[in-house]
Formats: sequence, structure tokens, C-alpha cells
Amino acid sequence: MTCGTLLRSGFLAVASLALLASAAAAQPGPKLDISITPVTTTFPLSDPDTVPIVAATPVQITYRIRQNDGPWTLTVLANGDLLAGPASVDISNVTWVATPAPPFQNGVLSKTVAQRLASGTGTVNPARQGQVTFRLANSWTYTAGLYTQTIVFTLTTP
Amino acid sequence: MPVASPLSFSLLLIASLAIAAPAGAQTATSTFSANLGGIAKLSFSSNALSFPDADPDTVPLIAAAGGAITITAKARASLAATVTLTVLAADDLRSGVETIPASALTWTGSGAGFVNGTVSRATPQVVASWTGSGIRMGTQTYRFQNSWSYRTGTYSVSLLYTLVSP
Repeated sequence: MTCGTLLRSGFLAVASLALLASAAAAQPGPKLDISITPVTTTFPLSDPDTVPIVAATPVQITYRIRQNDGPWTLTVLANGDLLAGPASVDISNVTWVATPAPPFQNGVLSKTVAQRLASGTGTVNPARQGQVTFRLANSWTYTAGLYTQTIVFTLTTP
Repeated sequence: MPVASPLSFSLLLIASLAIAAPAGAQTATSTFSANLGGIAKLSFSSNALSFPDADPDTVPLIAAAGGAITITAKARASLAATVTLTVLAADDLRSGVETIPASALTWTGSGAGFVNGTVSRATPQVVASWTGSGIRMGTQTYRFQNSWSYRTGTYSVSLLYTLVSP
């Protein structure tokens, strides 16, 4: 090995590091923002005969998608059934109506598979809003109680 | 034996960086709160009963003219709680100053949870009972104990039904 070879190798090593650094800077990825208001959705007490479907106060979803060329999806997933101590109400009794459509769509909550709430392509900037009204199928067969459960909204790009 | 140059090594790293770039994801959570409190509702196929006059010898027990009353009891109760339907007479059967004891009214019940009984003006009597929430239906067929000892008249009484769950 000559001295000239060593110098050439050192130059190539420095060049490769510079390429890595520029690659990292050029890999910003999509920038996603989502917020929910209000964070607590309440279903009021209602007579199942007169109010067979109990609507909660609408939820406002604010979302923004930047630096994205591909598709995006907003999903919703329940962490479990509605629970009140040992009593439970299957989360599939909760449906939703969402606007505007598109990109939003109506659906049924699941505790096992994230359900698509909205989808689109590219950027959404400035932020936009959607409105989701969750609705609980009322029934005399439910055990009395104050039920709670956490719902997770996820905004993703592939 | 060929040796990879530093340049080709750096390209390999860049390629792997592109593949390993994480997908974008942001989450927000919301809490559901559903007030499914205890509620109850009671309905009857008829709100009035009448007993026709009859010979006490041939008809010692007079059946109500309208036949059986169908009762629908709807209740949302706590887990494993007992739901009870009771009936209580507001007074004895009364026709002016004349009275016939409320206990002259008896009934037979049919349907899950329904029992037979005798009306009282002092203590609520159980008509039916169940466990937990749900919609229940059954019938009550009232009979009036006929007697030669009653004074003539048109007697009436109000019956109060109560559906409760602790």
C-alpha cells in the first residue's frame, strides 16, 4: 500500500459521511398533527323506548398533514368494551356519523381492529376539521352503571 | 479478492436508511363516558277492571270482565340486582260508606317471574320479581270473592303498582 492510496481512501471515507448527513437532512418524513375536542365524550341517560340511539356531543377533530406525497389514514380503535366494574357493553354498540364526507366516513367501533374514520392523499395544510358524532345503541338489557372506555385516534402515513 | 471501496459502503448505508425510515403516525385519545343509570317503566294492557254481578252460590269467584291484564315491566338494574313489581290497594273496596276488604281481590299470575297473590291495603304484595335488567311480560287475572254478606252497591278501589330495584 502506498501513501497515495491511503490518502485516496481517506478522502472517500469523508465523502461517504457527507452523503449520509445530507441523506438524513433530506429525509424529513411526513409531519402529522391531530387533536380532539372535547377529550371526553358523554352519552346521557335516556329511555331506550323514546331514545333508541343515544347521541353524544359531537367531537371536533383537527388534523394537519405536511410533507406527504402519499396516502394518509385516520383510524379509531377502542381499548375495550364499555366497562362499569364487572359489567360491560360491547363496544360495537357504538357507531359514528362523521362529516365532511369525504374524507370522513361513518362506521362502527371495534376493540380489535382499527376502523377507518377518514382517508386521503397528499397534504392537508392548513389544518382542517371533521366532526364525529358517536352514537350508542340504547337498550333495556344493559346493566345499570356509569361506563367508560378510552378511544384512540391515529393519523398515519405509510 | 475484490475489496469493497469506502464509497460503495456509504451507498449501502444510505439505502438502508431509506428503507428503515419510520412511517408517520400521530395519536389522540378520547374517553367515553356513558351514563346507563337505573331506569324503569311499567305499562298495562288496561288500566281498569270490572267485575259483573253474579250469584254467589253459582259464581263464588267472579272473574274480571276484561280478562287478564298484560303487564310489561322494563327495568335497567344493577348487576344481579332483584327487580320487584308489587301492588298495593289504596283502600278497601268502597261504595259510599260501605266497604269490602281489599283482600276479596285475588289474582293468578302467568309468565316468567309472576306469582299468584291476594291484594292488601296494608302491605305491598309481590306480583313478580326478576334478576337484573331486561323487558319482562306477564299477565294477572283478577278474581273477586263473591258473598251474600256484601251490601249492594258499586264498589271501587285504586291499585298502585310499583316497580323497584335496589
